[in-house]
Amino acid sequence: MILVTGGCFQGKTTYACETFGIDREDTADGMNCLMEQIYQAKLLYHFHEYIHRLMEMGQEFVLEELKEKNPDIILVTNELGYGVVPIDRFDRAYREKTGRICCQIAKEAKEVHRVVCGIGTVIKHD
Amino acid sequence: MLVLVTGGSGSGKSEFAENLVQQLHRKPFLYIATMYPFDEECHKRIARHRDMRKEKQFDTLECYTGLKQADVSGYGTVLLECMSNLVANEMYQENGAGEQCVEVVLEGIDHIQKQCEHLVIVSNEIFSDGIPYEEETERYQRYLGKINQEIARRADLTAEVVYSIPLIHKGSLEECIHTV
Repeated sequence: MILVTGGCFQGKTTYACETFGIDREDTADGMNCLMEQIYQAKLLYHFHEYIHRLMEMGQEFVLEELKEKNPDIILVTNELGYGVVPIDRFDRAYREKTGRICCQIAKEAKEVHRVVCGIGTVIKHD
Repeated sequence: MLVLVTGGSGSGKSEFAENLVQQLHRKPFLYIATMYPFDEECHKRIARHRDMRKEKQFDTLECYTGLKQADVSGYGTVLLECMSNLVANEMYQENGAGEQCVEVVLEGIDHIQKQCEHLVIVSNEIFSDGIPYEEETERYQRYLGKINQEIARRADLTAEVVYSIPLIHKGSLEECIHTV
């Protein structure tokens, strides 16, 4: 598993596709893909939106299941939580949840990349 | 030694800071808790943090304002969490420092540092989501930003935690752990 994170509009997905040699057609968009696609896709981007959708459906993300079914997936996510605490309760819960899940994933991932201005830095490598 | 640990919300900065304190090996450990329990959500958050550190041998001191009055003598390492709450309390609570917030908080940090061997401060990155806030909230960002800069300037180690991974902006983590 590989995690690619960074702010929005930083070229994270392009960086990930180029770095890991992934065709765009092998990627899934967390914003609108079928929820099961996370178990087949080589790369899933907008992972934070995927978590948002899970929360709206009242479902939990299960890392163990993903590790078992798709251990080599590349997850691309916005790095949330760098603003003032949101007023809306769901927004607060969402950015907190995304953070906790990404911490778990980062611990399991063999690599974590952080992208700023299209440039990636490897911040974890096994 | 002074350490600043910062990061976004849910980045794993608390866990990192708590584990760092364990590695500094200067007991006894004191945790200065600054979150005022306004509501159910705060209580849950506080409970989660208490649970996280229950095996880590911390005494707890609640300090919502007036860090300068805190007596932490006898403690080897103090972990203060979180600066963002302390600043909000100083700005908005009745007995807080109001417009003198920055100076008062920095004096408080000096006061704590003089009493213990190591002080680890957890702060929060609330500066980069691009949302224009109201003037009052921007003042809060400005105060916390200034305080973070001042702490980092004095710190031996400054780490930003990204999804549980520490990015070291100042000093060396290895040196900190091994020279103590």
